[in-house]
Amino acid sequence: MSGSQTRSPEAELGLLDATMIGMGAMIGAGIFVLTGLAAEIAGPAAIIVFALNGVVTAFTGLSYAELAASIPKSGGGYAFVREIFDDLSSFIMGWMLWFAYMIAGALYALGFAPNFLELLHVYGIVPPPDQVGAVVLPLVDTAVPLAFLLAFVAVLGLVLLNAISTAASGSVETIFTIIKVSILLVFVAFGLASPMFSGAEFQPLFPEGSGAAAVLPAMGLTFIAFEGYDLITTVTEEVKNPRENIPKAIFLSLAVTVIVYLAVVTVAIGTLGAGELADAGEAGIAAAATSFMPTGLPIIQNGGALVVFGAVFSTLTALNAVVIASSRVAFSMGREGQLLPSFGQLHHRYGTPFVAILASAVVMLASVALPTQSAGNMSSLFFLLSFIIVNVAVIRLRRERPNMNRPYEMPFYPAPPVIGVVLNLILTGVLVEYLLQTDPLALVLSVAWILLGGLAYVAINRLKGRSDRKMTDSDTTMTPEAED
Amino acid sequence: MTSTLDIVIAGGGRVGFQTAELLADRGHDVTIIERDERIVSEIADEWVATVIQGDATNPDIIEQAGIERADAIAALTGETGLNLAVCLAASELSPEIRTVARVDRQAGEAYTRFVDAILFPERAGARVAANELVGSDVQTLVDVTGDLDIMIVRVAEGAPAAGKQLTDVRFPAGTLIVSDDDDGHQIARPDTTLTPGRRYIVAVEPDVAEEVMNLMRG
Repeated sequence: MSGSQTRSPEAELGLLDATMIGMGAMIGAGIFVLTGLAAEIAGPAAIIVFALNGVVTAFTGLSYAELAASIPKSGGGYAFVREIFDDLSSFIMGWMLWFAYMIAGALYALGFAPNFLELLHVYGIVPPPDQVGAVVLPLVDTAVPLAFLLAFVAVLGLVLLNAISTAASGSVETIFTIIKVSILLVFVAFGLASPMFSGAEFQPLFPEGSGAAAVLPAMGLTFIAFEGYDLITTVTEEVKNPRENIPKAIFLSLAVTVIVYLAVVTVAIGTLGAGELADAGEAGIAAAATSFMPTGLPIIQNGGALVVFGAVFSTLTALNAVVIASSRVAFSMGREGQLLPSFGQLHHRYGTPFVAILASAVVMLASVALPTQSAGNMSSLFFLLSFIIVNVAVIRLRRERPNMNRPYEMPFYPAPPVIGVVLNLILTGVLVEYLLQTDPLALVLSVAWILLGGLAYVAINRLKGRSDRKMTDSDTTMTPEAED
Repeated sequence: MTSTLDIVIAGGGRVGFQTAELLADRGHDVTIIERDERIVSEIADEWVATVIQGDATNPDIIEQAGIERADAIAALTGETGLNLAVCLAASELSPEIRTVARVDRQAGEAYTRFVDAILFPERAGARVAANELVGSDVQTLVDVTGDLDIMIVRVAEGAPAAGKQLTDVRFPAGTLIVSDDDDGHQIARPDTTLTPGRRYIVAVEPDVAEEVMNLMRG
């Protein structure tokens, strides 16, 4: 075209690509970072924690599938709720979902850092992660923990990448996901074969003292591990035959992910034991791997390094996915006039939702300062809340628009969304109670974000009211006209 | 103040569906009301619009299409009387809404007392046919539309591309800014500036129409 550069449009995605987008977003920090934390709370019952979370999420998965098949929009959860609810409710949904993705981004970045240090450690570049101190920044004259710095840089790098180039297309994501899953399968295979696993000890299943009740708070914390299949619904427009492939991709990605998780958690607990796994914290899976993977291999030397590399790679790709997801939510909200209009505009040169990405980046970079556990708690909390709204949306849509065409209808309606709401509510309640006792900071920040949302909503509506009055006179002539 | 409109289309037949597709490509939210189950299923396959199955004259069905939030409704079934009834019912339910009715005879202008605009697709088609038959090297804009969408777009104040030179704006592949403003005196050049408030002839492929609209309209 007239002498200026162009960008290539997006590729079409098949069922495999769509499934891989969901799996790629789920299999990231969730399994690598939170397994250790789950083991700390629930002991060997961490296996049950992941299994039950898969079940709970499946109900919301049904709701997502039905909505995605009947509402031909790419915006994910926010777009569906926007279609069904009034201004305020859909704003709250968007606001919460936006935050959930951003905090998840911080969580993934925080998971990336210790694993990256572990990887460097395996090759003897740096001392063991727990001995890595702080680096002194000459400019500000203060010491900053190296892990924090790494997380910060990871977020910054991916934000810049996404701000100046349109996202890597789905086929790249497919390759990434296959790499991640293969590494986990290698981990599982070696773990099952290792002598450590033959002496596996899963008893007592539940931790002493709290007993089976410990499963619930651990579920709340690790709920985030199943966030990601919802991202499939953010790319529906690019998927071939979406009304069939989207529900299929949602169920497939959930099912495969549950299987992978269960295998990985079983092996990790079976080899390392719940206690040591808990001690390893964010690098739990990596620690388990280094304990049994063969050493002295060509090139990579230590087999455990492969799994550590998997953790680094997974957290980075998952971080990339939520950078995109969070900016898409903010972009859609801008398009709908629920955030400032500039959020809904593409950059004139890069073709990216520039303002939306930068705004998301600010919150993500600030959140990197949080403890990993708080970030996990907060993102789980906000995903639970937004999943409740998605389930309610299905019920409401069925009641208000019974005649709407639904290419995919969930079986046994209304049981799945009702069960979904109830289970998510229970987990929310348990999580909030758990936070009250252990992590008031996360709770305070969560409430603060919602209050900030209330302020933003009022301010934006004021602003809109003013500009609407100004625009009404001139607006009639501003529509694009097609000549006939 | 958004540039995305909520549009309801009654009748998902050939005219209705084509209209929905054009609007969806430009990034608007479209809901189609269609009675025929077979056509409903065909539309669903194309993934351009939410579909409500039912009779568009039934107020309950019109409400399910989200009429109270819609910016415009187009009644595009083959029956003039039904189309007018749908538009009148819509105006009753949502007084601010813009209504467009498809009519089937030339005398249609009189209907604008009831609706905001009318359209007579047979007439528009006939004009194209006449142009084709006469066979001219110069064609009016609508005649070349195979898949391409050729339209005149006014650059909105504050849009991402507003006030920028073409060299500075990277449009997606499949975009061509044809004219330097709508007087049509000059073909656009790299240094052409997209002045807010002026209109430009733009050719786009349907895939990228939405992005182009975002850049030029905000």
